[in-house]
Amino acid sequence: MRKVLTTGLLAGSVLFVLSYGGLYLAVKFFPWIFVEYNNPLFNSDGSRDLLFYLHAFIFSLALSWFWERFKSLFHGSFLIRGAEFGLVYGVVSLLPVMWITFSAMDITPFMVSSWFIYGLAQAIVAGLVFAKTNP
Amino acid sequence: MLILLSAFVEQPSGGSSIRWVISHGGSLKVVGSTNVNNFSCSIMNYSRPDTLSVYRTSNNVRMTGNVQLDVEDFDCHNLVMTADLRKTLKAKQHPRLGIKFLNLNKFPGANQQNVKGMVIIELAGVARQFEVNYTIVPGERQTITLTGSRDIKFSDFNIVPPRKLGGMIQTNDELKVEFKLRLKALD
Repeated sequence: MRKVLTTGLLAGSVLFVLSYGGLYLAVKFFPWIFVEYNNPLFNSDGSRDLLFYLHAFIFSLALSWFWERFKSLFHGSFLIRGAEFGLVYGVVSLLPVMWITFSAMDITPFMVSSWFIYGLAQAIVAGLVFAKTNP
Repeated sequence: MLILLSAFVEQPSGGSSIRWVISHGGSLKVVGSTNVNNFSCSIMNYSRPDTLSVYRTSNNVRMTGNVQLDVEDFDCHNLVMTADLRKTLKAKQHPRLGIKFLNLNKFPGANQQNVKGMVIIELAGVARQFEVNYTIVPGERQTITLTGSRDIKFSDFNIVPPRKLGGMIQTNDELKVEFKLRLKALD
């Protein structure tokens, strides 16, 4: 359990820097991608900012537990294991969630695709951290 | 007592007054920006037949009348941005945007001129007084086009500019407001 928490927090820290750093740079250099976010679907009063920034840790702690339970199923180098873990998460969890999100909410294919790729990249990074630190 | 008080109320000095009725074709535009784009939203074809009056008093040029616009009529030429602006301006709780005219710094003449004047803008349930720059352009058949513009801030009206994705996308506080009224002089 301790290992789950420590590797989860470590992966959360890595994802925090990469995810929000990447998002900041993307907003700065590719602002046109984010024009669609001027949309009342998205919280606009700042009341959920803390929840938004905690996402990296919620995500990593959940995946850390998942890794601990199923890591024996992933074989090969840490790169292969981490990438496969991320892909499994992407197909099993992310794809259905994005599917139902797109079917129910007034968002564009581009927006939902970007969320899928973003989540998949996060899961692969988290998988690499787990494969390296908790093999 | 009422008679005594009324003696201190400014009255038109006689002869120097104009009354206009607002004709079809007025508009109001707000232009703003976020850190990812600019937006321009407008209410077109305002035509509620209100009356504006301008009259010279002993020490200034007073103006009376007001316009009331429906915030739901804003169109940002993009459905989601339109919905976002209406939400930001609290259209459900405060459906009207009002401009009340107070005075001008000079009496409108027969030629095109730039004047300044005070107005009270009421938005999202908050009223604030501003100085507005006007351009008055006389037209045919005793008509004029009155264009007023002013830079305001969301925060002037206690509105927090929208921010998305944890503040990564932020709307700037400044807004430029421009309204255009087509007025016809009443005989």
